[in-house]
This record gives sequence, C-alpha cells and structure tokens, in this order.
Amino acid sequence: MREWFSKIDPTVKKESLYIASITGILSLLLQAGFLIARHWDYTVLLGNLLGGVTAAGNFFLMGITVQKAVAREQKPAADLMKFSQTMRLLMQLAVAVLGFALPCFNGYAVIIPLFFPRIAIMIRPFLDKKRQ
Amino acid sequence: MELAIGIILGCCALGAGCAMIAGIGPGIGEGNAVAAACEAIGRQPESKGDVTSTMLMGCAVAETTGLYALVIAILLIFVAPRMLVNILLEAVGK
Repeated sequence: MREWFSKIDPTVKKESLYIASITGILSLLLQAGFLIARHWDYTVLLGNLLGGVTAAGNFFLMGITVQKAVAREQKPAADLMKFSQTMRLLMQLAVAVLGFALPCFNGYAVIIPLFFPRIAIMIRPFLDKKRQ
Repeated sequence: MELAIGIILGCCALGAGCAMIAGIGPGIGEGNAVAAACEAIGRQPESKGDVTSTMLMGCAVAETTGLYALVIAILLIFVAPRMLVNILLEAVGK
C-alpha cells in the first residue's frame, strides 16, 4: 500500500490534498447551513460524507488517470481519459441514485458536495494571491 | 388521469436520458486536453509538473458540465415526477 502510494506523482498528491481539504471545509459550512435552516438530521451528515468522499475520490482517481495518461502516446492517452471519465461519471451517478433512493441519506446533501472541487478551483487564484 | 401521469413519468425519464447526452462532451474534451498535454510534455519534459497541475484543474472544470447534466437527470427522475403529479392532482381536484 505504502509502495503504491509512493508511486503517485507529488503534483497529484498535492492537488488532491488541496481539493480534499477545501471539500472538508465546505462540508462543514454545508452542515452549518442545514443546522441554521433547521433541516439537520443524521441523514444530512451521512449524505454529506458520501458526497464529499465521492467528490474528493473522483478528483484523486482523475489525478491517477492523468498521471498514467501523460506517460503514454497521444491516442491511447485520450482513449484512457475518455474511458476513465465515463467510469467516474457512472460512479457519481450511482452515488447520486443511492443518495436519493436510500432513506438513510439526504439526497441534496449527497449532490451538493459533488460541486465542491469546482468551487475549490474557483477560489484557488484568490488563495494563491494571498499566499504571494 | 393514468394516461396523464404516464405521460409525465415518460417525459421525465426521456428528459433525464437526453440530459445525460451532455455526459459525452467532457470525456471528449478531457481526452483532447490530455493528448495535447502528452505532446507538450514530449517537447518539454521538464515542465511535466506544471502541465500535470494545470491539466488536473482543467479536467476538473470540464467535468463539472457533466455533473450539471447528472444533477438535472437525477432531479428529473427522483424529484420532478412527484412534484408534477402533485400539481396535476391539485389542478384536477380544483
């Protein structure tokens, strides 16, 4: 396991960690939002956990695919990326369906965290500016 | 009444299917981006880290369009039918 982890590109690790941390922070804000709106119960927490882990995991899997793809020729790399994207989209679809179908998950709390990586990328330039 | 409800459910399912067509686009876009990145890294191997980092962010942004389609499809399957049938029943009740 440790050996496999050491093979991962440091860039992928760094970016995945950034996305996971921002997803965690935004998940806390989502919980706070549900609490303030007085709609909080355990299903929101479970849904948020499922959605957050899926969002961060999806980004990590994409990173691993990119790492593998850039070591190949152009055509196989493009094919690998297309296949990976389809599989990851199906994974997210399955998670969203689970979130809405099972009563132990709040469907909205599952779907909203899927957009957190996009928000993390959106706020990145501002964070970089602050660091500089 | 059953026919109207059937039409609503059928249209929701059809709409969800049509929405998922948008899931094809990000895959093609990401594939093209990765192919271009391979070429760039082939020309300048020392820029691999920067290219990978930019690529990751670009791919994540591209994937969001697929996610929008997914959310629309999910809402059309799980939320819209109940809402529309309720509206229909209320209208008929009145």
